[in-house]
Amino acid sequence: MKELLSGNAAIARGAYEFGVTLAAGYPGTPSTEILENLARYEEVYCEWAPNEKVALEVGIGAAMAGARALVTMKHVGVNVAADPLFTAAYTGVNGGLVLVSADDPGMHSSQNEQDNRYYARFAKVAMLEPSDSQEAKDMVGLGLEISERFDIPVMLRITTRVAHSQSMVELGEPGPREIKPYTKDVKKNLMVPAFGRLRRVSLAERMARLAEYSETTPVNFIVRGDDNVGVITSGISYQFVREVLPGASVLKLGMTNPLPLQLIKQFASRVKSLYVVEELEPYLEEQIRMLGIKVTGKELFPVTGEFSQGLVRRKFVEAGVLPAPPQAQDNTAGLPQAPPRPPVLCPGCPHRGVFYTLRNLKLTVTGDIGCYTLGGLPPLEGIDSCVCMGASIGMAHGIDKAVPGLKGRTVAVIGDSTFLHSGITGLLNAVYNGSDTTVIILDNRTTAMTGHQDHPGTGRTLKGAGAPEVDLTMLCKALGVQRVEVVDPLDLARLKEVIKAETAAPGPSVIIARRPCALLKREPKPAVTVDREKCKGCKMCLKLSCPAISVTDNKSSVDANLCVGCNLCVQVCKTGAMKGGSADA
Amino acid sequence: MEKQPYNLIFAGVGGQGNVIASKLTALAAVDAGLKVTVGETFGASQRGGTVMSHVRVFQGDKLVGPLIPRGRAHLIIGFEPLDTLRILLAYGSRHTKVIVNDRPVYPLNVLAGDAEYPDVDKMISTMSEMVEDLKVVKATDLAFQAGSALATNIVMVGALAGLNCLAIPTGKFEAVIANFFKPQFKDMNIRAFKLGMKAVRE
Repeated sequence: MKELLSGNAAIARGAYEFGVTLAAGYPGTPSTEILENLARYEEVYCEWAPNEKVALEVGIGAAMAGARALVTMKHVGVNVAADPLFTAAYTGVNGGLVLVSADDPGMHSSQNEQDNRYYARFAKVAMLEPSDSQEAKDMVGLGLEISERFDIPVMLRITTRVAHSQSMVELGEPGPREIKPYTKDVKKNLMVPAFGRLRRVSLAERMARLAEYSETTPVNFIVRGDDNVGVITSGISYQFVREVLPGASVLKLGMTNPLPLQLIKQFASRVKSLYVVEELEPYLEEQIRMLGIKVTGKELFPVTGEFSQGLVRRKFVEAGVLPAPPQAQDNTAGLPQAPPRPPVLCPGCPHRGVFYTLRNLKLTVTGDIGCYTLGGLPPLEGIDSCVCMGASIGMAHGIDKAVPGLKGRTVAVIGDSTFLHSGITGLLNAVYNGSDTTVIILDNRTTAMTGHQDHPGTGRTLKGAGAPEVDLTMLCKALGVQRVEVVDPLDLARLKEVIKAETAAPGPSVIIARRPCALLKREPKPAVTVDREKCKGCKMCLKLSCPAISVTDNKSSVDANLCVGCNLCVQVCKTGAMKGGSADA
Repeated sequence: MEKQPYNLIFAGVGGQGNVIASKLTALAAVDAGLKVTVGETFGASQRGGTVMSHVRVFQGDKLVGPLIPRGRAHLIIGFEPLDTLRILLAYGSRHTKVIVNDRPVYPLNVLAGDAEYPDVDKMISTMSEMVEDLKVVKATDLAFQAGSALATNIVMVGALAGLNCLAIPTGKFEAVIANFFKPQFKDMNIRAFKLGMKAVRE
């Protein structure tokens, strides 16, 4: 039977069919839906870990003990998980271990577009790259087999287009979920220097055997066509190449570490001109050039952004491989300029008041990863920076220590899920090293940006079971923070008062701004209305950056269909023109 | 089906339900024995940014990627006039058909009075000169009529079914919709679907 599945749903299906016993991950676009789909299969245990490092360690443990394990994360998550990854290559596995790295070329929803194929080469693990949903499913099975046969973790690298595109997948029956026997083996699993050296030698041997396997694996194959033009490609680019150059010879690489060097040489020798089509870095190209093969790659194709059929076609026209298309007629003359449409915080978002207040107080605000990066855009402009998960606290502390003029004026804003991911150690550092910084935990009771995943603070697990709910106040106090305040971010007056008091107070402070995500708890209160007589057109309400508020003819109005009655604009309005809504929970 | 792969783009603003509309259309096509690929925008744009879903419908064993090349959309289902125009300029040609909801969703700088939202009638008349066929559907109004503005996307699916470009029996759409929504929302969405279908057939 065939079913229409996204790449992510297909990976989940693969884990179900190919005997995965345990799966773990941390949400991150474009990887999140893998575990959300997999959790629906009763037979597979799945969990959200607080971060990617823990998720991979959970997977390494399960695999060492003999179970097949799947671990999922977005590309930057692998940075967090890199520590266990590099040494797991030494220990190897017992049950198969597949790590999904979901890369995001074009940065649809990420802070960078790093190319995680280099991780496979760097850490010395095998890497598979699917081009569509069917391959995504099949490669989970193949990855687990390779992992067990070569005693190595396998990275399954997908990109946004593979993760989030849907195509037909042949469903299979689930196989057995076997647990291999576990025997204590310190020379393999206890990575102290003496044993690590042995495993380093073993790793080189394992990689050599993998390189041989790569020459014959069915996922590296040649589509024989016209030998005037040969293309080496992998991942989603394979689909673009086949659509744009249906007649060309193509070497499709499904296994991209280690590369099948003999197969590449053989392919290259038969084609007249050779191209490499790959998104992001010249990963394949560099290795092909090291073989002394002449190839056109990044001198033609960009190193930034996402590819498309259009781009691949344009570049092959530029290279003279395809004829130039007839000049399209420009029918856009006389069209009005289309205003851009950047994303915004949702109506009723509990973060809005925090950013409004921080900007008014002119504090130096380090931000973190989540919906709330949107609070950095105009007109809210409540954040100065955003680097990576958890960075806000360390950065605020660094400013506080280094720049006397900003001492006592730094605030770190971090979401609840992000705080539990990697903010705790930053806060511990701020306490230990006597910071004067203030940390605001934007506690909206969920992992909002990625679509409301549970975490250790929500009281529920990925499988839907109840769980102990971490008490953020107690946690911060246990870390040594003396001043911890809980506020409702929709109560602007008190919020401002607390932020002023805590930034002024010596020592580190934590403010927990607690209110569930507006999309999570949809209980709209009566919409706000505007008394047009009283509205003076001062536009103070616009500073809230609320999509429900607009100004025409110098008078504000509120779209009753969008307004959820959060009442912030009523509190901001100086003329009393805005009425209604309610800040009550 | 007139052309293969038949390329549809659902264009709109994050939160308008284009992902669900494309999913239901794809499922109806699969139920009708057709092959489908779907390409989506997820992530940050879902918070009120421009979003689109690409759906490509075909028969047989072709290799069809998830993205529609620029200039190759056969049908654009626009949930909002400005973003329909935006997507049409990039993906349309004079052979494109368009179904457009005439209710604007204003970008933030327009709400703030810093930019002007182009005149809707002017945009629609310009678009209709650019393409083979354009149908205006008062989808938001019809969705209200069906029971909730949230069903706007289903009105648009109804309009797409009404045009019959994919030659999928409407019963397939109705079955997929009935199966997708929770029982308490089923009737409203079927009403919305039928209103959309009727709107393009009148």
